[in-house]
Amino acid sequence: MERALKAAVVTLAASMLCLAQAPDLLSSLSAELSRNYAVLKAQGDPPPYYIAYEVTEEQGCTVAATLGALQASNCEHSRILDVTVRVGSPQLDNYHRVAGERPVFTSAARLPIEDVPWPIRQTIWRETDRVYRNAAERLIKLKTSTQVRVAREDDSPDFTNEKPYVFSAPPKRASIQLAQLEEQARRWSALFVSRPAILTSQVVIGIRNQTKYLVSTEGTRLVHGRTFSRIVIGASTRAPDGMDLTTGETFEAEDPSGLPAEKTVLSAIERVARQLELLRAAPVAEPFVGPAILSGRAAGVFFHEIFGHRVEGHRQKDESEGQTFTKSVGQQVLPNFLSVVFDPTRRRAAGAELNGFYLYDDEGIPAQKVTVVEAGVLKTFLMSRSPLQQFDRSNGHGRRQPGSEVVSRQSNMIIESGKTVSDTALREMLKQEVRRQGKPYGLLFEQVTGGFTQTRRGGLQAFAVIPLVVYRVFPDGRPDELVRGVEIVGTPLASFAKIAATSDRPEVFNGYCGAESGTIPVSAVSPALLVTEIETQRKEQSTDRPPLLPPPGNES
Amino acid sequence: MIRLLLCAALMLCMPAAFFAQPPAEDDVLLAAMRAELNRARQLQLEDLDRPYYIEYAVHDTEMLYASATMGSLADSRVQRARLPRVRVRVGDYDFDNGNYIYSDSMVGTAYSLSAFPIDDRPLAIRRHLWLVTDLVYKSALQVIARKRAAVKNVTVAEVIPDFSRAEPVKIVQPLKRLALDRAASENLVRRLSLALRAYPALAASGVELQISTGGFYFVNTEGTEVRIPENLVRFQVRATAQAPDGMALRDGANFLGRDTGELPTEEDLLAAVRAVGTNLTSLKQAPVGENYTGPVLFEPLAAAQLLADMFGRNLGHRRRPIAEPGRALSFAESELEGRIGSRILPEWMDIVDDPSARDWNGKPLLGQYPVDLEGVVPKPLTIVESGILKTLLSTRQPTKNRTGSNGRARLYGNFAANAASFGNLIVKTSQTASWTDLTRRLAQLCADRGKPYGLLVRKMDFPSTASGGEFQRMASRMAQSGGTARMVSQPLLLYRVYPDGREELVRGMRFRDLNFRSLRDIAASGGDAVVFSYLENGAPMALMGATSIVAESSVVAPGLLFEELQLERTEEDLPRLPIVPPPPVEPTS
Repeated sequence: MERALKAAVVTLAASMLCLAQAPDLLSSLSAELSRNYAVLKAQGDPPPYYIAYEVTEEQGCTVAATLGALQASNCEHSRILDVTVRVGSPQLDNYHRVAGERPVFTSAARLPIEDVPWPIRQTIWRETDRVYRNAAERLIKLKTSTQVRVAREDDSPDFTNEKPYVFSAPPKRASIQLAQLEEQARRWSALFVSRPAILTSQVVIGIRNQTKYLVSTEGTRLVHGRTFSRIVIGASTRAPDGMDLTTGETFEAEDPSGLPAEKTVLSAIERVARQLELLRAAPVAEPFVGPAILSGRAAGVFFHEIFGHRVEGHRQKDESEGQTFTKSVGQQVLPNFLSVVFDPTRRRAAGAELNGFYLYDDEGIPAQKVTVVEAGVLKTFLMSRSPLQQFDRSNGHGRRQPGSEVVSRQSNMIIESGKTVSDTALREMLKQEVRRQGKPYGLLFEQVTGGFTQTRRGGLQAFAVIPLVVYRVFPDGRPDELVRGVEIVGTPLASFAKIAATSDRPEVFNGYCGAESGTIPVSAVSPALLVTEIETQRKEQSTDRPPLLPPPGNES
Repeated sequence: MIRLLLCAALMLCMPAAFFAQPPAEDDVLLAAMRAELNRARQLQLEDLDRPYYIEYAVHDTEMLYASATMGSLADSRVQRARLPRVRVRVGDYDFDNGNYIYSDSMVGTAYSLSAFPIDDRPLAIRRHLWLVTDLVYKSALQVIARKRAAVKNVTVAEVIPDFSRAEPVKIVQPLKRLALDRAASENLVRRLSLALRAYPALAASGVELQISTGGFYFVNTEGTEVRIPENLVRFQVRATAQAPDGMALRDGANFLGRDTGELPTEEDLLAAVRAVGTNLTSLKQAPVGENYTGPVLFEPLAAAQLLADMFGRNLGHRRRPIAEPGRALSFAESELEGRIGSRILPEWMDIVDDPSARDWNGKPLLGQYPVDLEGVVPKPLTIVESGILKTLLSTRQPTKNRTGSNGRARLYGNFAANAASFGNLIVKTSQTASWTDLTRRLAQLCADRGKPYGLLVRKMDFPSTASGGEFQRMASRMAQSGGTARMVSQPLLLYRVYPDGREELVRGMRFRDLNFRSLRDIAASGGDAVVFSYLENGAPMALMGATSIVAESSVVAPGLLFEELQLERTEEDLPRLPIVPPPPVEPTS
């Protein structure tokens, strides 16, 4: 409590002082948990066998600026409550997955941001009642539904058996100097003023202190958290032929002190601007099939999309999913020199802080290192508390954005390679491969912005990764040539087999991943990959024209 | 307009800061808008239409919002934003890209534009406007081409121009920034919400305070230039409860003003908060009403709410856009369209909309505005004279019955047009009784008809505080019951009045077939008229939170007696009571 008071965002600090004597949030959560559970257990029909309350408290500010002018400067303090009620039994409960159905019970209820027990407890009580009703209703429907009776390939139960965890480490909260952030955003964004070829640009700085509280009827009591600090630089323009182009860079750290020094930010802005200007003038890429190098960051996104999403445990028991790897445990799924590890306990890699670091997942299971692929062989899946036939325990990857239901999600994905060469050697290998295949050039994907993948059965099982910066690499020693309008396309399984070698220098891609349980922070760490065959298509051509009038001058 | 702040809401009583105002020429935002507008006149894509009209509007606002529940802060924030709106018309006043189902569609990507700059930096502001104008102009070209093709395939009943002309005006007023005292606001909502702890009947409750301050900026290519203050203070209390049979109950109160000084004193706010607690406690114990056809008396506040609900969305002309064959269009004409010259109220009633009035009998009016969203100055209008509908409210969108704006464009609308809404709707009656006479009249009507009791409405659910789910249920119920398919607010506080004057609160009742025809038969009016202020947003029952752009409005009305209205039980499946009792209340120290 003492700590929470000291750490409050400047503007809120004063308002909380009078409440120093009040019991803390965890006590209110615990009190309401035992009270509701006892009554519902005795009088509910069906009674619950598990209740959990998770509160995500966030205090933070975001500032945004363009061309030296502030666009937004907002601070927020919120507490979001997620209530989980399980009725029935771990064998069959209200979360039971029926193909294509994704029941959502939680509603992201806002809790008061001050530790006064009664208002907090009243909200918890109301929300428990609402969730319990919906949970009971769904269980009754499930029990009478024929779908549940149809034998599924995976007839595993609905909830894993775990031991409770008690841990309390209220995180150190970063103090936020709003005026300073505003000045930085203004100053940095003003660098784009002298770049008339760039149509829009923005610098965003955000600092968010997050504390998670979790109590469950199994006895789990957790208080933990971390800070997320980031700088996002983005710019866009439109080429004379109408193609929209964007470039950007982001920096992520826990504490704001981990963000780069001004000098580094300034050179990143220069790079973002320069790259965009070059891209605008660059030739449009032709559709291409041939060898390529994916930079470490590009490879991270590539793996996150085409591999990471397919080893999320819950997809293996949802029959509307493609289930690419469901039956591949123990089999070779990647080249034997590659291993894939998900390690949310890791704070740093390759000189960068990792966005996917956490202590406990959103079901109260300790974060743990999970080797999903060892020497090319699939060992396990990312597990939440939704068990699979072969895996009846969570491995600490049940995650969500407040207001969504937990599913298994990625954390820090680390690609480890046993076949590494230097960056220079990897380039040489690319050129050799170009010659071998008789291609005019190979491609180098230096930066990608992100991507998406389709894992559902009805879909194409395809993925797309959206590259920002791509070069043609010629085998004859000509300098690399920047091209624009490239999109990587393909189907997952085919792509893995074509990884021939990797560099010895891992890079970090930090980002936010959106899926059915909302947007969560993740990262991917990978060395550069040499792929013998990659397929690209031309970005859909826009028919838009560049602005008709020249940009306004600086009359000020 | 310098008003001495009579230390009203005590702690809110901090003198509003009067910043030195730059003259219009030095206002960076206004100058940037003007400069970019002038450049935009040259826009032309190849040999296609040039814009004949361009307007830039910017709502510049800084807002403080604080909410609390039972003494504990739930939310507190200060936000600053500028919301721009750019409109480009191509073609000419007779035929342009407006009034067509695709008029609002945007073509192409939006240049990755992010938020409008909130700092006074001309370059950043002008670049934003430059790109938005480019996008809107190109879209307008696409729309007019499509519309030209469409009109070849449909028979347009009557050719009406697309945009009416208006006198350019230059109204540049000083802005008056309200002070945003966050700590004081947080303390106020904490203190006032704490009072609701004394009402264990409540399942949920909240008190909110919002103070917005800023200005509305507008320029167009006809030469109009506007800068006027946009300030609003809103205090709200809301609570819900559940009756023993499961019926969901709610009550609330809303206070609005242009300045913190226009809010009631803290003592009066506290009384209003407590009243919500008392009302819900009483409602929880109240019997469910029975189907009723007979005389109904509206207290002045409820009467003003009813009129606001009936007239708020119906006084404006509406124009059906040009559609395409086979393409469904959801469009409803105003119920009053075509009734100009007909009697819609008793002959002893007049209604005037007077957006120039700042107060009524010393009580501040909220609906005063110097110029509307299209830069047109409103004049007082007699809407109803001796019960006869004289005119409707209009914007610059011509309709079959009217060309030319009367300055009532107060909400953004569809099909490249704006929606008309009133400012201060003032009901005047030539026959007016005292409140006592009116209650006596109610008793007499009941006696004549052999009714054991009459009904009295003290408060309507307007603007509605229904939740999204509740609103959906109401809408579907109304659709099922057929009727006029128009959503009418329901009474929140409804009483049976017995011959001996005894009042009995009832719950679970709604109006049936309450519409404009009902208003013709108002039997009498009386009691002291009240000022009811609210935020009109164009949604049914002005449902709170439905839209972000609102029109500050006031209605002044006395109590009204209807000879015959129908009310029925809501008849719906009631949710069960929670199995778990509420947590124990702690003493309020």
